[in-house]
Amino acid sequence: MLLQERESFLRFLRARGAGDAAEDILQDTWLRLATAQTSPVAEPRNYLFRALNNVMHDRYRSAQRARRRDGEWIEINTNDAEASDAPLPDRALAAREALAQAEAVLRAEGERVLDIFRLFRIEGLGQRAIAEHLGLSLSTVEKDLQKAYRALIRLKETQDAE
Amino acid sequence: MTDTNEQIRQEALEWVLASQEADFAGWDALTDWLDADARHNQAYDAAMAASSWMADMIVAAPALPQPANDETPALPSRARSWRSGYLALAAAILAILLIPLWQMRPQPYSVITPNGQTRTIALDDGSRILVNGGTRLALDRSEPRFARLERGEAMFIVRHDDSDPFVVEAGDVRLVDAGTAFNVVRSGAGLDVAVSEGAVIVNPEGENVRLNPGRRAQIDGASGRITLSDVAASHIGGWRSGQIAFADAPVGEVAEALERTLGTRVTVSPELAAARFSGILQVAGRHADALPQIAPVLGARAVRRAEGWELVNIDAQP
Repeated sequence: MLLQERESFLRFLRARGAGDAAEDILQDTWLRLATAQTSPVAEPRNYLFRALNNVMHDRYRSAQRARRRDGEWIEINTNDAEASDAPLPDRALAAREALAQAEAVLRAEGERVLDIFRLFRIEGLGQRAIAEHLGLSLSTVEKDLQKAYRALIRLKETQDAE
Repeated sequence: MTDTNEQIRQEALEWVLASQEADFAGWDALTDWLDADARHNQAYDAAMAASSWMADMIVAAPALPQPANDETPALPSRARSWRSGYLALAAAILAILLIPLWQMRPQPYSVITPNGQTRTIALDDGSRILVNGGTRLALDRSEPRFARLERGEAMFIVRHDDSDPFVVEAGDVRLVDAGTAFNVVRSGAGLDVAVSEGAVIVNPEGENVRLNPGRRAQIDGASGRITLSDVAASHIGGWRSGQIAFADAPVGEVAEALERTLGTRVTVSPELAAARFSGILQVAGRHADALPQIAPVLGARAVRRAEGWELVNIDAQP
């Protein structure tokens, strides 16, 4: 039913760096969603775009991980067998330390920045809902999220460089 | 060149934030932007990776309480569900490996409730914390007998242990349990503690005030002055059942309690600020739109404002 949208999805996948794999990725993702579907999705087009975006981001992360097989940056959300060879307790410890460091970096931007980041990325609230709940303006929430992301990107770059 | 890169990073950041919204619909515009420059996709992934990485770490950490949230559309949770199996596995592995470490290292986490939403936290020792709306509570997995109330209201139903009393910190005030169920409200710098079972010691190293059941202490944030009074034990933590009781309370305090429960901003007009209220408000199952019916009980009228409601004198001209 979304066949007429095929070209939009493929264009998006290629822009996200899928190259020749675009067709296969679209096919796989579409099948996976179609079989996993238990209830109707309100916006199937957006839903598939989001799923494709996540697939491409996972591929990006796998590639990064492979590049730094022995690096310091530990991925916890790993669904492949390519993670670091380090013994598990060490990796878990390193991950804990990295998390504490990331939290400290966000806290340094202000407690509110950490709160808003959590509400957005962990509890999945939209920016407008966060603004309403915390009694802030939408642009304040957006600015705080940008601060949080910038700080995390900086941190990640420092750690990757080490 | 540096400027251009900086600009790309900023644009990527904005696209990531927008596309992480559950109802994002601008996928074609995002495609156009990605296509416009070969560096855009890399910048987009880098911004996304930094936030996903931390989010996954937090989700993987066990026992982070998740709020009941009926406003979030089903879509993002379903989009996440095909990862959750791995996350749960990762969390389980972490949990097994890290138990000894937790006992040594601080593992702070915050519980934040928006106005109008309550949450119950079950601690490992069997203690429970019932968190009212509009509240921020700091806990630490390595210190299970400690909580810091940063703002809002919570009822603590604590398993008592003489050798390891439960401690609640709020600003400069320390509350130490002595076999206890107690409710704490923190608004601004002030603190309001009421004990329904057992006892609580306020500032054991300082004033060392013991509160028995049915006793209440109001601590002024500025002066540190403690005012003691009686309160019906059955009214303590009444917000849990939707009945909030007040004894000679300033209307501002009532407005804050309504704000936490009804999930909307409630302000008080200056001429009403000095008014006081005694009585019980029935708020069970009621929402912000019930405010016009509640206001007359307080001798007030509720007026719609840009951000919620204002309570004004009942005789005031519109």
